[in-house]
Amino acid sequence: MDRRQFLVTTAAGTFMMSATGRAVAQDAAAPPLADFPRNETVIIQNPEGAIRNPGWFNIWVNGGGGWSNGLHQWAMDTLWFIDPDAGIPDKSENAIYYSLAEGPWQYNDDFTEMTVKLREGIFWSDGVEFTADDVVFTVQKQKDTPGMTWSGAFSTQVEEVSASDKYTVHFKLQNPNSRFHAVFSVRWNGAWIMPKHVFENVEDVLTYDYNPPLSLGAYTLHSFDPNGTWYIWEKREDWERTAMREVGEPKPRFLIYRNNIAIDNRLIEMRNGDLDMIHDLTPEGTFSIIKEDPSTQGWFPGFPYAHPDPTLPMFIFNHQNPKFADKRVRWALALMLDVRALSMASYRGAATLSAISIPPTGTHPRDYHAPLQDYLINFELDTGSRKLKPYDPTIGKQIADMVRPQFGEQVPTDDEEIRKSFGYGWWKTDLEAAGELLTSAGFTKQGNQWMMPDGSPFEFTIMVWPEGVINRLAVLAAQQWSLAGVKVTPEVVTDSWDRQAAGNYEANVAWSVETYGGHPDLAFFLDSHHSQYIAEPGELQPARNWMRWQDPRLDAIIEEVRSVDFNDPRALELGREFVKLHLEEMPNIPVMSYNVFSVQSNRYWTGWPNAQNPYANPVTNWSNGKYIFTQIEPVT
Amino acid sequence: MRGYLLFVAKRALQLLAVVIVGITAMFFISHLSPVNPVEAVLGRMTARSNSSPEAIAAMRAALTDMYGLDRPLFEQFVSFWQRLVVGDFGPSLLAWPTPTMEIVGRALPWTAGLLTVTTIFNWIVGNLFGGLAGYYQNSRILKVFGVVTMGLQPIPAYIAAFIILIVFGFVWPVLPISGGFAMNVRPGWSFEFVGSILLHATLPALSLVLVGIGSWFLGMRALVSNIVTEDYVTYAELAGVRKPRIVFSYVLRNAAVPQLTALAMVLGLIFSGTVIVENVFNYPGLGSLLVDAVNAGDYSLVLAVGSVSIFAVAVAIFVVDLLHPILDPRVRTE
Repeated sequence: MDRRQFLVTTAAGTFMMSATGRAVAQDAAAPPLADFPRNETVIIQNPEGAIRNPGWFNIWVNGGGGWSNGLHQWAMDTLWFIDPDAGIPDKSENAIYYSLAEGPWQYNDDFTEMTVKLREGIFWSDGVEFTADDVVFTVQKQKDTPGMTWSGAFSTQVEEVSASDKYTVHFKLQNPNSRFHAVFSVRWNGAWIMPKHVFENVEDVLTYDYNPPLSLGAYTLHSFDPNGTWYIWEKREDWERTAMREVGEPKPRFLIYRNNIAIDNRLIEMRNGDLDMIHDLTPEGTFSIIKEDPSTQGWFPGFPYAHPDPTLPMFIFNHQNPKFADKRVRWALALMLDVRALSMASYRGAATLSAISIPPTGTHPRDYHAPLQDYLINFELDTGSRKLKPYDPTIGKQIADMVRPQFGEQVPTDDEEIRKSFGYGWWKTDLEAAGELLTSAGFTKQGNQWMMPDGSPFEFTIMVWPEGVINRLAVLAAQQWSLAGVKVTPEVVTDSWDRQAAGNYEANVAWSVETYGGHPDLAFFLDSHHSQYIAEPGELQPARNWMRWQDPRLDAIIEEVRSVDFNDPRALELGREFVKLHLEEMPNIPVMSYNVFSVQSNRYWTGWPNAQNPYANPVTNWSNGKYIFTQIEPVT
Repeated sequence: MRGYLLFVAKRALQLLAVVIVGITAMFFISHLSPVNPVEAVLGRMTARSNSSPEAIAAMRAALTDMYGLDRPLFEQFVSFWQRLVVGDFGPSLLAWPTPTMEIVGRALPWTAGLLTVTTIFNWIVGNLFGGLAGYYQNSRILKVFGVVTMGLQPIPAYIAAFIILIVFGFVWPVLPISGGFAMNVRPGWSFEFVGSILLHATLPALSLVLVGIGSWFLGMRALVSNIVTEDYVTYAELAGVRKPRIVFSYVLRNAAVPQLTALAMVLGLIFSGTVIVENVFNYPGLGSLLVDAVNAGDYSLVLAVGSVSIFAVAVAIFVVDLLHPILDPRVRTE
């Protein structure tokens, strides 16, 4: 062997030894050589990136472990779950599942105390029974330890927590709070219960990895990738000793969560039979996989396929910037937009529009959009010169007609189906009315440029995400405003959420509205809109009133919501009052739901939720998606 | 020997200076990031779950205190170097309180392996074939090789990666397109595991090889085309020295010296190319780790990855420098 050969061999050998050696060193939870039969295994794409601390399962501390890798779907449980869609009939009540709690929350008259009755006969995967002591420990430990995930929630709200008996927990709250139960109600996640018998022996909970985790759900951790790209869960033999027994047996024996998969790879992996559920794709990716693989399905049976998420992308204006202080200006900006073009540019037409400040998803069309149609159609806007009715209830149908030449029979023709898929309606483009509004607000026009009352040009920047549908939406809106005489410059940023919270922006595309989806209560986002939380300019605004909109009428609605129960019909009425106030003030311009292009394959498993059978949200990372696995069946 | 030791000492000092300046620059650049790690973590902890504004404010204060981000930048800089001299980059903010070096240590072997093997392969095969093409200028096979590499060489690595992904993942799905090894293989010293690693590394490596080999080939062919006209080559041929000896000992050895210098100069570029390739194939290396850390505003992790990369590239250049005197006696004499 000469010198050159020696060098090459040494280098290659070093590589092999180092890579393999590292992997061997991380053999803590490696799977045995075994196959996972496809009729017993569902393979799921988890949208998380590579998990950088793959052996960290202490979800109560942000230690770099995964969350939606099966951990919060299967090892965790809490008192209630609220489905973003309708929920499984007969198993949920108004989309609410009673999980570890036997029934609904019970408040005293002034909402300063809450009592919860727990289910009996629920066991951790190590055979220890789940009791009220676990719930008390969960609250007390996080209340006493700053830096844990729910430390803030408990330290600012709970005065005292105690176990009245083995299966009853009693909370005394610091202030009246009719929505305290929401901390334990899973939308995407909720305050998960800790196993007291494990954590009470841990000296420093902030550095404890909780590996391997115990399970309070129907599956336990089987194995995971030391590089943090897959996690395998196996059904507990005693799954009937978990709260899942109330809903049904989950069918797969194994669940494999695979993360860090680029969009192109997801398409290929599903086509090759290596993925059963894709969390999210681009519109184009969805059109492609549906065409390539006839066994795949989206939420809608045809175009637009995507599931409307209970979040609402919108144009957000900073109300502490004088440019946007006048509602006539905000309304003028809304009327300058052509939402059909925005839908085509962002989602290739596959958007579900909403003119009101409620996402058109779950049960919201039933509770808000449909009942408010007449109000919207008759809604009058005073431009200063005249009164007009700006709402066009046919916009959804117009977009359906626009995409029909390309997608043919895939596009629904029935009016009701069109409304479900494309939304009910939106504002007509009306540059004349927009001009009248600006004129009445003291603006003037020089050539094609609108000038503000102080004589300077009316121009602003809008923060734009670097890519994706939101990027396309914002860029086209900026073009439309610029053509209408308001020079708007898109500003591509990666930290738009940070800057939005800091008030360091003029306009942005994001969302200040997130709802439960399956339940009409709006407190989830609305409570934070109270003026008591408005930050001074330059200070951080707590989520989610990014506009820093304040109005005494809004405060009055929020305060009344606080005084009624979550399930009180008055809460729905107050929600509709909020919508009407929002229409009058237009503090932001809602555009569409955040449509998620989730795709499932019927090659090995079938029975997935869809628009016809909307028993669950098909996205893979929401923990309430676990109920899907009780409804699917292997393809024989 | 004394001359060689002096040469090594000079280069070692240069190495030290490059590492110190590079890491210092990394510290300040990473802290210029507009992404606030506290907000990134808070976003993750509170996104889509119910948290009151008071609760969020309490969490923000706790995390800022825990991460030490309320201290002045210079103070953070001093404590960074104090820790660094004992090999500690501190805890990751993304994966608090896990030490950043533990996370880097998991990703490093994958990138180092991919990079080392493809770089050495490209350099050796590219130079060997380039040298032969320059010497045997009428060889049809080498001419075809030249045309192919010339065609591939301008293609950016990420385009090549996507083409390979579609060809071998979709059109002819014979090779894995994601991850470092198969799920149902037990890591260890077994044929299954090593085979799985090699199988999963094939497509990322192929992306780097296809576009990386051409520049070495073309450079070497041009160099050898000049060297073959040198008097000493003509003299060797006239003296009846065997062809292989002429090619390998007289021609390629002389032509390899500038190519070795070029290798040192492009190592940094090659590293940046792997960032994209790793992302395309979801390869668990430093590239994707760096992207995640930048997006999350995890200064500590960015610094650890950046510093390890600076150190690795600087050391590789240092080693290449040390090889010079061995290959070229003139440098040794100087």
